[in-house]
Amino acid sequence: MLQLVIDGLFVGSFYALVALGYSMVYGIIKLLNFAHGDIYMVGAFTGLVVFSTVSGLAGGGILSILLVMLIAMIFTGLLGVGIERIAYRPLRKSPRLAVLITAVGMSFILEYGVRQIFGPNPQVYGARLEGATLSFLDARITLPQIVLMVVAAALMVVLNLYIMRSRDGRAMRAIALDPQGAQLMGVNVDKVISRTFFIGSALAGAAGVMAGAYYGSIDFLMGFVIGLKAFTAAVIGGIGNLYGAMLGGIVLGLLEAFGTHWLGGQWRDVFSFACLILFLSFRPTGILGARVVERM
Amino acid sequence: MSTRSTRRSSWRTVFAPIALAATAVLTLAGCSGGLAGGGDAASEDGPIKLGMAAPFSGSESAFGPYMQNGAQLAIDEINAAGGVLGRQLELVTADDACDATSATAAANKLVTDGIVASVGGYCSGATLPTLPIFEAANIPMVIPAANSNELVKAGLNNVFLINGTGTQQAEAAIKYAAKEGLTNIALLDDNTDYAKDLANSVASQAADGGVTVVLQDSVNAGESDYAAAVNKIVSSGAQLLYWTGYYQEGGLIVSQLKAAGYTGQIMVGDGSVDAKFAEIAGPAADGVLGTFTQTPDMLEGAETWISDYTEKFGAAPGPYSTQSYDAVRVVAEAITNAGTTDGEAVITALEGLKDFPIFSGSLTFSPEHTLTEGGFAIVTVGPDGTFVLKDDLKS
Repeated sequence: MLQLVIDGLFVGSFYALVALGYSMVYGIIKLLNFAHGDIYMVGAFTGLVVFSTVSGLAGGGILSILLVMLIAMIFTGLLGVGIERIAYRPLRKSPRLAVLITAVGMSFILEYGVRQIFGPNPQVYGARLEGATLSFLDARITLPQIVLMVVAAALMVVLNLYIMRSRDGRAMRAIALDPQGAQLMGVNVDKVISRTFFIGSALAGAAGVMAGAYYGSIDFLMGFVIGLKAFTAAVIGGIGNLYGAMLGGIVLGLLEAFGTHWLGGQWRDVFSFACLILFLSFRPTGILGARVVERM
Repeated sequence: MSTRSTRRSSWRTVFAPIALAATAVLTLAGCSGGLAGGGDAASEDGPIKLGMAAPFSGSESAFGPYMQNGAQLAIDEINAAGGVLGRQLELVTADDACDATSATAAANKLVTDGIVASVGGYCSGATLPTLPIFEAANIPMVIPAANSNELVKAGLNNVFLINGTGTQQAEAAIKYAAKEGLTNIALLDDNTDYAKDLANSVASQAADGGVTVVLQDSVNAGESDYAAAVNKIVSSGAQLLYWTGYYQEGGLIVSQLKAAGYTGQIMVGDGSVDAKFAEIAGPAADGVLGTFTQTPDMLEGAETWISDYTEKFGAAPGPYSTQSYDAVRVVAEAITNAGTTDGEAVITALEGLKDFPIFSGSLTFSPEHTLTEGGFAIVTVGPDGTFVLKDDLKS
């Protein structure tokens, strides 16, 4: 039982990191950024490139992985800003369907662009997180798992402080509440949206490097499933709500761990997407989402 | 879009395009089947075309080029020796992406290209839907790599397997386990036709072979965290885990098993026998066993073949290059014996082949159009990460 909780929390912390970006972007410009999962994938590949070009990093353990993660975060952050600038901003006044399709197209561009560069085969990561296995109360947890959960939690805490305490964070919250009102109050909407994309994409990139270093193998389609899972996590928690994204990620991770234990591995995706449908049907605002008042 | 639609809930706006896309894909998949049989009969002059549908993109895309090279090598050799029936052979490839929809399209393309025989087929799940297409066009298939029992169960007259079937591979796994005294085994597959079939074959033969299946489970391909399956295996007390899926997930599962403290033996099916497996699994690959049809580097007297291949393609032969090489030779032999490229005649000639030498032994087709000799051996991960022969199971 405890083992299932640990496994669920671990996978859930990945989902939460990716779901944060989904949720932030949705909260601010009401866009489901389907390319977000692929930014996670690009993050993993950026890490791969850094590890293979800077030879000294591969053996350096956790510190070098953190450094590579930082580089990948900056790169994916800038990539996110670029995507928003090129693909989403020109369409901001268009019907939401047009932007959604652009996002799906962007996702394919990223996937098959990476495939063109690195080829279709899975790539093996330059650095691997290795560590002792600790056991307590009949459950096992490995040192890398603890490290990655701590890193994920730290990133989320920093993000929370940024959104809640800083001036930029306040501007983000203002735009989420009322974009036009915020603009009238002198908030530079474009700048804040860019910043949102930067942060969300950087978090996804960090998750990508962590996944590469932990699991050891990455491929150009790895972002697809986790993109859907992050979307599910964001919906479960309440899309557009930051605490909701974190909670949703953890809840989805736990649901999957217990679901696969009871039903068997092949039911994992069926189970999590069934939960998505249940939430959409009965509580579309998610666990923490507020009731949306329809503005006429 | 009318103004009303903007007032709809955002969820409907989200799902409408997804539903639309899904409908479009389904319709396309349905239509492409209807094209079967539209191909024209092979022309009587010009090169004799052999078709190969194999994965050149997607998760299994590593194998397509190996198969293509193996087949091309055989074709070049046969052409240099004067061709077949005085005509040159030509290889036509199509990408099946290891996916049923793409495979259907690929098979239809090959049929319209006017191929005389098919020498392709790697993923069983992608090869299955192509069988009726080739049958309707009266095209014999010599399948080099795909080996699910489902391919045989369809009972189509044009289908020949020159790789051992799942049943034969399962026999090899059980035989080895019994030989080593490993009586409690766990089975794990990745939900693909091939892997499920192999796992089910082991499960149904286990009792006869004297081993007990203590756990059978499936995982979804394309994920990275397999904690649930790993935990079950560890607590099942299995002395041997047999992973029947492909190498990408296999590598991850093996490394996660070792991290979770699993101490039993690990064996993988032929879909995981690849150097990439050890690369992905890292140090956890040590001592992992595999069931595999023998590759040229394990065969005696294959040195010239290997050096020919390496010289021609600039890389060492990979998995299934020998089987594809053999598939072309088998087809060429049958066409020569038949004296014509007519599908019916070639099928009869294939059925009549007797003790034709191929890499895995001598070939005579069983009434089900499978090998009479299985040719599966036990391999293990060698020092440089490639699999090497451990036990040929001949004794």
